[in-house]
Amino acid sequence: QNKTITGTVTSKDDGLPIPGVTVKIKGSNQGAQTSNDGKYSISAADGSTLVFSFIGYTTQEVVATKNIINVTLSTDSKQLSEIVVTGLGINKAKKTLGYAQTTVKNEDINRSASINALGGLQGKIAGVNISNVSGASGGSTKIILRGYTSLTGSNAPLYVIDGVPLNNARSGSDDNFDFGNNANDIDPNSIDNISFLKGSAASAIYGSRGSNGVVVITTKKGKAGAPVVNFSSAATVTDVAFVYKPQSEFGQGWDGHFVLGENGNWGPKYTGQTLPWGSIVDNAQLIRPFSFIKNNVRDAFDRGLELNNNISIAGGTDASTYLISYNNIHSNGVLPGPADKFNRNNFSFRGTTSYKKFSADVSMNYVSKVGNFVATGQGPTGVGTTFYENILQIPGNIPIKDLRDYKNTFFNVDNYYTPFAENPYWNLNENGSRSKSDRFYGNINLNFKATDWLTINFQQGADVTNSGARIWYNSNYPLPGSWVGGANTEGAVRKPDVGSVEEDNFQNFEYDSKLQALFNKKFSTDFDINGLIGVNYNDRGSRSHISTVEVLAIPDFFNLSNSSNKPISTETKLHQRLVGFYAQGTLGFRDYLYLTVTGRNDITSTLATGNNSYFYPGANIAYVLSQALGFTNKTVTYVKLRGSYGETGSDTGPYQIYNTLKQTNSSLGFGNLLFPFNGVAGFSINDILYTTGLKPERVKDYELGGEFRFLDDRLGLDFTYYHKIRKDQILNVPIAPSTGYASQLINFGELTEHGYEVALNATPVKTSWVKWDFNYTFSRNRTMVKSLPPGLDKVILNADGYGGQFVAMAGQPLGLLQAPVPAYDPQGHVIVDSQGYPIAAAENGTYGNFQHDFVMGFNNTVRVKDFALGFTLEWDKGGKFYSGTADLFNFVGADPKTTYNDRNPFIVPNSVQRVLDDAGNVIGYRENTTQITEANNDDFYYTTSNKALAWSRDILDRSFVKLREVTLTYNLPKTFLRKLGASNATVGVFGKNLITWLPSGNHVVDPEVSNYGTDLASEYGEFRTAPPLRYYGASLKVTF
Amino acid sequence: CSKINDINVSPNDPPIEKATPQVLFPSAVMSTAGQVGGELDIIGGIWSQYWTQSPIANQFKTIDSYNLQRQDFNRGYNELFAGALADYQLGITKAKEAKLYNFYLMCTVMKAYTYEVLVDLYDKVPYTEAFQGAAKLNPKFDDGFAIYKGLIAEIDAALATDYKGAPFVGSSASTDFVFGGTMDYWLKFANTLKLKMYLRMVNTHAAEAEAGIRALYAAHAQFLDTDAGVIESSDKVSYFTDVTDQRNPIYAYTVFNLGGNDLRASKTLVSWLTAHNDPRATVYFGTASPISIDQGNYTAPQSAQPSYYSATAPAFKATDPVYFLTKAESHFLQAEAGVRYGVVSAQTEFLNGVTAAFAQYSLSAPADTSYQWDNTFNSASTARKIKRIIYQKWASFPNSHALEGFFDQQRTGYPEISDVYSTNPLYTEDTRIDPLHPINHSGQWVYSKNGVTGGRFPKRLVFPDSERSRNSSTPAEVPITTPVWWGLPNK
Repeated sequence: QNKTITGTVTSKDDGLPIPGVTVKIKGSNQGAQTSNDGKYSISAADGSTLVFSFIGYTTQEVVATKNIINVTLSTDSKQLSEIVVTGLGINKAKKTLGYAQTTVKNEDINRSASINALGGLQGKIAGVNISNVSGASGGSTKIILRGYTSLTGSNAPLYVIDGVPLNNARSGSDDNFDFGNNANDIDPNSIDNISFLKGSAASAIYGSRGSNGVVVITTKKGKAGAPVVNFSSAATVTDVAFVYKPQSEFGQGWDGHFVLGENGNWGPKYTGQTLPWGSIVDNAQLIRPFSFIKNNVRDAFDRGLELNNNISIAGGTDASTYLISYNNIHSNGVLPGPADKFNRNNFSFRGTTSYKKFSADVSMNYVSKVGNFVATGQGPTGVGTTFYENILQIPGNIPIKDLRDYKNTFFNVDNYYTPFAENPYWNLNENGSRSKSDRFYGNINLNFKATDWLTINFQQGADVTNSGARIWYNSNYPLPGSWVGGANTEGAVRKPDVGSVEEDNFQNFEYDSKLQALFNKKFSTDFDINGLIGVNYNDRGSRSHISTVEVLAIPDFFNLSNSSNKPISTETKLHQRLVGFYAQGTLGFRDYLYLTVTGRNDITSTLATGNNSYFYPGANIAYVLSQALGFTNKTVTYVKLRGSYGETGSDTGPYQIYNTLKQTNSSLGFGNLLFPFNGVAGFSINDILYTTGLKPERVKDYELGGEFRFLDDRLGLDFTYYHKIRKDQILNVPIAPSTGYASQLINFGELTEHGYEVALNATPVKTSWVKWDFNYTFSRNRTMVKSLPPGLDKVILNADGYGGQFVAMAGQPLGLLQAPVPAYDPQGHVIVDSQGYPIAAAENGTYGNFQHDFVMGFNNTVRVKDFALGFTLEWDKGGKFYSGTADLFNFVGADPKTTYNDRNPFIVPNSVQRVLDDAGNVIGYRENTTQITEANNDDFYYTTSNKALAWSRDILDRSFVKLREVTLTYNLPKTFLRKLGASNATVGVFGKNLITWLPSGNHVVDPEVSNYGTDLASEYGEFRTAPPLRYYGASLKVTF
Repeated sequence: CSKINDINVSPNDPPIEKATPQVLFPSAVMSTAGQVGGELDIIGGIWSQYWTQSPIANQFKTIDSYNLQRQDFNRGYNELFAGALADYQLGITKAKEAKLYNFYLMCTVMKAYTYEVLVDLYDKVPYTEAFQGAAKLNPKFDDGFAIYKGLIAEIDAALATDYKGAPFVGSSASTDFVFGGTMDYWLKFANTLKLKMYLRMVNTHAAEAEAGIRALYAAHAQFLDTDAGVIESSDKVSYFTDVTDQRNPIYAYTVFNLGGNDLRASKTLVSWLTAHNDPRATVYFGTASPISIDQGNYTAPQSAQPSYYSATAPAFKATDPVYFLTKAESHFLQAEAGVRYGVVSAQTEFLNGVTAAFAQYSLSAPADTSYQWDNTFNSASTARKIKRIIYQKWASFPNSHALEGFFDQQRTGYPEISDVYSTNPLYTEDTRIDPLHPINHSGQWVYSKNGVTGGRFPKRLVFPDSERSRNSSTPAEVPITTPVWWGLPNK
């Protein structure tokens, strides 16, 4: 006889109801789920057994004897049944994995209302390095799992969302503009969890795309029950987190004298005396005290605002569920006006349904974004200049804030105070860029449960983006005879900006299909096996069309037609395919010993026949010692040892094996000669020499580790050691120009990296109303360059344009910063030239490498009743980076280092001059007595005139300590909420990037920012880029 | 059946197998022009003391102080080898295959011209083992003299073909920016180039120089009577236009992109032009009385040298042509051959040269002995004749042909080196006691005020890092002040 049994399932930990608990009648297919308030209802025969199960909790069985059965589930303290998402989106028990695995949940991702999926995880996960390379909302996030091992290929992880690879293009971005990477588009609110597969054993199943690790994102699904509405809203104020600090002793001028029109701080000491400044217009001039203006640079910026609103409705029946969500991001950044505005809308639908043995899961997402971005670095020569370069060139006594009135008589195009730079607010208001993107991604996932141990699965994914960007530089021509047009005291004329318009269109597509069989069978009490076998077909590529026209005919009108020049257009298509066959099997023995073997064979379109099929094996072992030995004491609750080996690869891009011609574009150094020239077409031999013998890059990865939990799980330790070898690097190796080529694309070189990751979790305090969780992560990674092609002593990874280089050298740590250094005589004296400046040695010297000694994260959460306070500190220690900001900062005499010797004449300490014979050969040295005069002090700090020492001021310590995040949340009382019809509500305040501590040698720039992209090259440093941001906000989350 | 990698043929760039001389040749010519008339023109112009670095900017301080090192001039070398020369070489191969002997000759002459620039700047470069890609990653360096002989042999081989019989199909004559497909001019350019190369050898290979020049005259070789360069030979209209990436290289580089605040008139050239009332001051600097800066004195503060801050910039225009070998230069070369070997009337050729040099700018020469060669001067010493020729050449090269002035000085010693710096009043004081031997120093070269080579002038470039660090055959570095193989020895 059946009766209806109802009840509530609560958590033993906090007494709160648990939604989504599966309630099943043992021995039947009948079942139910608890609703949002933990309630369930099921019809069962008297005396049958109800099984209550939920991930992370110990399964409980209760015999149905009453009509109301309330159940309290306790958390699965031994981590034995924790289910995590692994490669290909397969759920597996964490204890069976023979490699390190970190999962983060929605709550951790959204704690500080980051608008990017991974932006809220900085400093929280060992071996996952997350940085925002530009301060702009909508800009790129750089994610590197462990370290860099590919010299010139990609080091970005593969992003997989609900089992389907995501296209992570950064279309249109370059050193000047960062329009954001596509992985940033995912609505963080819609994410259920993210798994990081850091090593090759974990990612081997992804074969030739798994070599940099995989970020596996699983989105939320609806749950059976009445519709549940989730609403969250956050408002965040942004401001500049760190700006350079100029010296405050010497004011405007050059060569030690006050000069009205100069853009440097090489004038006399500040006197405080009221003096005229700036241009003379109609015999009138402005006056102000000749003194250093505090907070001048910071006042160049405003506060920004970021709004993040999300609403979702979810629900369903036992057979079908749905989830619809909408996320809106609206942001206006710290620059005055709309120059850095960003809007994003995400619409998502997720539905599941099942019918008999069939089930289906559909996910559809549409993302639309529009953003304005401000140019960083140097503007295109001859066309225009950038805000950040111009702001650096304002002496400390000129009020930057006043210059915002850029049409004012004294600050306009004709009468800006200097002919050597432009009013930055003219740049900000008259130049700009607008990026637009429409993107669809999603998948259909069909399952057929053939038997109770075999499921057939087919999944089709698509990710298609249509995007475009427009970049404009307005024209301006200083009037001849005006202050800027030559009437200034030095007679200099500022180069006009001729203006330009660029229209870009990009299409990116990625289609991914897979058919696989999954099986799971227990053979005896001792053995069980689960696994899969499948085939995958991936088709991806891009089309781009870029047109640019220079010299605007009508100022302030931006269209490709608006010029006497014809637009220059380029089109690029990329297309590649990959077929993969894969299998994976896990053999379990008595629930404590697991052996997993994986294998994948990829066939790629990008390599020549005979060279394009590769096999990637992997194996891992997990041994749950505590279970094997039957630990029962509370001191050591869980011990697991793991070991793994995996091989992965890195696909080559398309069109890299056959030699080609290129449309002729001959570089002049500044400017080009481009064909068609004078109506004649021209093609030249491509400077890159290709070979059909190219192979994919290959990675072999060993990993050892252990998980330990002590003191009734109050203390936990996860330790991982890894060693990774990357061979057959695809290198565009520079070769001697006399070979007829600039470089040759070949496989060569070997990099190894090794490192360790430690995660320590502790709950020092745990009472009924106070709980303090502490989480500490430590990681250290060292990448070494083992070998390079014969005859090649270094591979240049990036360069600053003045002579500094970022290189890989055999036998050295990856990423050396090499730049000119002084030449020394045999006794170690600095050799100076006849003018008294140090001579640069013939060969560049090494200033260090970019790699941190270690990265540490401190995470704390203190919960007091319904309040939770969390904060995260990150300490990155060691390493060096190049700063193009520092270069200009020294040139204009703003760096405190330029006040050396109070700017009095000096002789370079411990220096000698060469004695030459008639042929110019060095025959000896004599003591140097040539002074660097007061008037030449400035030349001592400029790259061109003192090449030998410039980089000693531009290459800085990369260390920092940052207070990444502080959050305070309060869960509103249920009784109060019930009156509002809500089941759950949380209010919170938070701050991100609140405090930045930099070492004493760096007054200039946050080492995390870069405008050199998001890969290895970006680790060289930055070139006059935007400052990082600080965020303060408040959020509200309500569930109805 | 289609294979998965069938899609791996680039839709963006044509396969190298489809290369034709018609697309390679104009590309390579513009690559040569872009360097010879661009970055190398800047070095040539500063080192020939036409221009100097302005104190209000910084870009060319390393050049003006003779402080160039192996990292400084990679681009020009790379572009000339991997850009221009590799394309000429493939153009030669493709032209021979297609029996397009006209393109074979055009590519060969331009290859020789471009190679000569490299040899003259670097002394030695790879030649016999160059352009072999992966087959020869460390090509050996050949001696400059051997390369000259090789180039002359290559020119002779191309001249021996039926290059006049090969047709220009369709509009392919327009791919010849130098002579528009007029093969007679290519023959003359080839001969004049050979003459120039032989004259380079006079200091160190006098016998070969004389034999080669006598052979040219014995064969009644015709020499250039028009300008060779990126210029329409018929109407002297340049192919450069004031349009994106189609501008004259030195204009694009120094004015359009850098803003024109760097180069200023050098006292050395201006003093000479002024001393001779040379109307080309207006051509070179846009004014009949340019304000100049003493060579390399860019660190002088405004208080000490206020006039430096109103110094005149070179009058580069976007539409200026780039010259490879001018008509005037051709006549001056012939005049020098006449002086040295009597193979032609030096007097006639000199006067033709002066006329052509001024005609180049639609001007006529001033009445000053320096521009004349009367019958009495025929009895002057060889040295005085050469001096007069070379001064005229030097004064004809500013704008886009400046490198040649630098080479001539190293070869002949003219203009001489002044024993006073140009700030010294003696430099320009005209005390003509003997009108034929003014002690006026105008035009004589002065050592850069900020020179770092201890009073020695630069004579060459050092091998760039791009070659040195990748080619183990690169010879040991020699000082920038060491003469190249044909240069006058340091005193």
